[in-house]
Amino acid sequence: MSGFDLSGLTASFSGKRVIGPLSLQVNPGDKIALVGKSGAGKSTLIRLIHERVNRDSSLVPQDLGLVNALSVFHNVFMGQLDKHATWYNTVTLARPFAKDRAEVTALLQSLEMNEKLWTPTASLSGGQRQRVAIARALYRNAAVLLADEPVSALDGPMANSVMALLRDRFSTSIIALHDVDLALNYCTRIVGIQDGQVALDQPSEDLTSSDIMSLY
Amino acid sequence: MFSSPTVRTSFIFLAIALVGLLFADIAITASNPWRDLGNFFLGIVTPNFFSSEGLMTALLRTVAFAFVGVALGGVVGFLLALIYRSLPVRMFCAFVRAIHELFWALIFLQFFGFHPLTGVLAIAIPYAGIFAKVYSEILEEADPEPGRVLPPGTGNITAFLYTRIPDCWVKMRTYTAYRLECGLRSSAILGFVGLPTLGFYLEASFSQGLYSDAGAMLILFYVLIATMPLWVRPKLLPVYILGAPFFLGEGLPIVWGNVQRFFTEDIVPAPLRNGEGLAGVTPWLSDLMVNEAMPGIWNTIVLTQIALVATGILSLLAFPLISNHFGGPIRRNAGHVALVIARSTPEYILAYILLQLWGPSMLPAVVALALHNGGIIGHLIGRQTNSIKLRADAITGFNRYSWELVPRVYRAFLAFLFYRWEIIMRETAILGILGIYTLGFYVDSAIQNIRFDRAMVLILVTALLNIGVDALGRYIRRKLALQTMPTC
Amino acid sequence: MALNFIRKFVLSSFLFATAAASAETFVFTAIPDEDETKLVERFRGVADYLSEQLDVDVRYIPVKSYAAAVSAFRNNQVQLAWFGGLSGVQARRLVSGSEAIAQGVEDEAFETYFIANTNTGIKPADKLTELESQLKGKTFTFGSKGSTSGRLMPEFYVRDTFDSKPEDFFSRVGFSGNHTRTLRLVEAGTYDIGALNFQVWEKELGDGNIDTDAVQVIWKTPAYPDYQWTIRGDVNDRFGDGFKQRVTEALLNLDNPELLESFPRSGFIPASNDDYEPIRKTAEEIGILD
Repeated sequence: MSGFDLSGLTASFSGKRVIGPLSLQVNPGDKIALVGKSGAGKSTLIRLIHERVNRDSSLVPQDLGLVNALSVFHNVFMGQLDKHATWYNTVTLARPFAKDRAEVTALLQSLEMNEKLWTPTASLSGGQRQRVAIARALYRNAAVLLADEPVSALDGPMANSVMALLRDRFSTSIIALHDVDLALNYCTRIVGIQDGQVALDQPSEDLTSSDIMSLY
Repeated sequence: MFSSPTVRTSFIFLAIALVGLLFADIAITASNPWRDLGNFFLGIVTPNFFSSEGLMTALLRTVAFAFVGVALGGVVGFLLALIYRSLPVRMFCAFVRAIHELFWALIFLQFFGFHPLTGVLAIAIPYAGIFAKVYSEILEEADPEPGRVLPPGTGNITAFLYTRIPDCWVKMRTYTAYRLECGLRSSAILGFVGLPTLGFYLEASFSQGLYSDAGAMLILFYVLIATMPLWVRPKLLPVYILGAPFFLGEGLPIVWGNVQRFFTEDIVPAPLRNGEGLAGVTPWLSDLMVNEAMPGIWNTIVLTQIALVATGILSLLAFPLISNHFGGPIRRNAGHVALVIARSTPEYILAYILLQLWGPSMLPAVVALALHNGGIIGHLIGRQTNSIKLRADAITGFNRYSWELVPRVYRAFLAFLFYRWEIIMRETAILGILGIYTLGFYVDSAIQNIRFDRAMVLILVTALLNIGVDALGRYIRRKLALQTMPTC
Repeated sequence: MALNFIRKFVLSSFLFATAAASAETFVFTAIPDEDETKLVERFRGVADYLSEQLDVDVRYIPVKSYAAAVSAFRNNQVQLAWFGGLSGVQARRLVSGSEAIAQGVEDEAFETYFIANTNTGIKPADKLTELESQLKGKTFTFGSKGSTSGRLMPEFYVRDTFDSKPEDFFSRVGFSGNHTRTLRLVEAGTYDIGALNFQVWEKELGDGNIDTDAVQVIWKTPAYPDYQWTIRGDVNDRFGDGFKQRVTEALLNLDNPELLESFPRSGFIPASNDDYEPIRKTAEEIGILD
């Protein structure tokens, strides 16, 4: 299952409705970019979708959800904690197994982060931290990617290569993006959010950046 | 100025303490206190490290009891922290930590006797209650976000180990290290009731006026605490913890029948034991309340309030000693040494020394409590001022103190002070053992007269009083919106 | 280096462990009525003597309070104790079958001395009533809370003579902890008046340890029975038939002058529980015993 039907999504914040009611049909293979002004409700929507499809998604939240005191390796490894027994995870905390070490190192290599394997994430820069969260999502290897501004702290070339990586590794994805060009280049479908409602829903090949700018 | 709730609260407490002074027994009764104090300082500067063959053993025992007690308390406290949400657990923890280590030791002495278990449990039990509270607060503050991104189906233990523990690890480690330091102090004073730690020898040499011997012991104790960062290394900890049980000394074997007797006979109120039935309990209890509990409570409260305000005043005077907004490095280093000595000396030992020198009254107790607690708070506040960046043209001297620094740290200062309120009261009660008429005096008297039923009731009263003050302190901190760090 | 350290550590812990694992040891204690170094010196001598006489390991353990001595005896962690009159009565009430087996020659007729700092100007008297106006409102220290000569008897005579509680009669009442300290505190003027064991006074005086310009005896109590050796009733089960008798004989035969001097007693004579009835009655009268 990698497509799903989301309907009746709502969210309120101190009595005021910020999202919905809103429906979204996600088909297998869709690579959706959520675009819109900041405050339009993209992050909230990502969270709502995550609550619905929890079991099968890799999540990159905006605040990353890293455990600062743990190393890069351990933060990435957390993507597969459910795959192992408790004793295995506990041993890994003290001394990782070679097989996992090799897998995580390879993954980090594709993000140009492999030399930081044992650095605690607390001492990384913003862009490096973002890549750790992405690596965790990749390692989790779920069918669906849910990401909230995953490349906001990365420079141009790195942002492009990470977006390409995400496009290739996940068949289905929903990514909140404020960068319109990245959205058009790496996603197949653009969903514009305005005042908590879907204001635009089109294949990206039918859109230009100026069409999207009207949302801002 | 008086419109500020923090200032108003401060003045209310100051007024209470001043009224308390009218009722308090404050005097120097020794005819020549300064000569004795002089002799004492002479002893400190001419320490005799070779007086007693037992001195090194006593130091070793002090460390061993601290390690075993704190480790056991830490493990149990950690487990309790995991279920700290449950009301009975919280009440249980509040109760066991409201009873001072020395009281626990006095209780266990009655049935375990001079077995190492007495000292270990006397430290471990109240510490478990404190650890449970602080660990649970730290765990609660952990960032919840990493837990949310975990793959569903991750086991509870795995999730806890990966998302909570790493985030809390540093704070828990810092707090545990601080507790270990407290544990060394607790362990040292257990000697005063007969366990083979430093206090045992300190009391002996002090009471005989062997100030050079006592000075040597105090100096060794300060060195032990000041060098903790050097010898308490994470890698050596397992060695210490596994090794410490072998260094507790042999003691005397436990006779288990005594334990049963203690719980089924000794602490049963005398009228019930003598078959007078419930009718006899009322006069027994009211006699105890009127003649011992009430005077004890009154004196404990009066002394606590005076000591609390004295602590506050002393902390405000002391923090510039280590603040880098005043003076040069030499004076600051001297300040550090002074505050380390003040806070490393257990109140009980300070009070004991001053009582010997100045004679019996509440004064030695007030000074001891203020020195120790003022040293702790002064140190914390002073350190806090070092992170304050003043504008380049800020005023200097006393104006800098009163305009730039005190207003900025005052809330933190009050938070620490109210946090220590309960601790000061717990100590005040225990100082009664030294002959000041607080609750500890009556507990000690009951034990000296082998009336454990009375002692238990009085210890219970002491615990309830502490729980009450703790609650009141928390209420005031909440009312004034004061934040506290648990590492105080 | 770390390994070397661990090795030493483990080695020394074994040394400690073996010391702990000794066979049946006969353990005794004593009330801490004097300076600790003196007690340890005195009772190590007694331990050596008893060990020689009885052919078992004998160990003395020092305690910090009278109650701790009683508790250790009651809890069977010690089997023999050198008690004061009151602590002995307390202990024997708590341990059925226990017996007073020997007392010092001087303990048949023991006394408490009331002493005063000379700055108070109090003059010695034969009757306590004569001192009423001079003593009233002064500061006063007992010895230990559980002491016979340092607390029970002086409190009894203060109550009996002045018909009021000590804390009402004097302006301040303290408990110094032991007799030597009472002496030092009154000598130093920390307290105006104190009450102590007459043997401690006489011995310190003989040794030249008292500044007689600073402190003097102002009143002596009538005689009462005091210190005694008390033994548990079940020692024969543990150490063999006739053990109690052998301990008693060993104590009565103790004639090492140095050891006797350290108590200080001229010798030990037989004692019985009934000898201490007056003490029990007095304690009940002033409410120390239930």
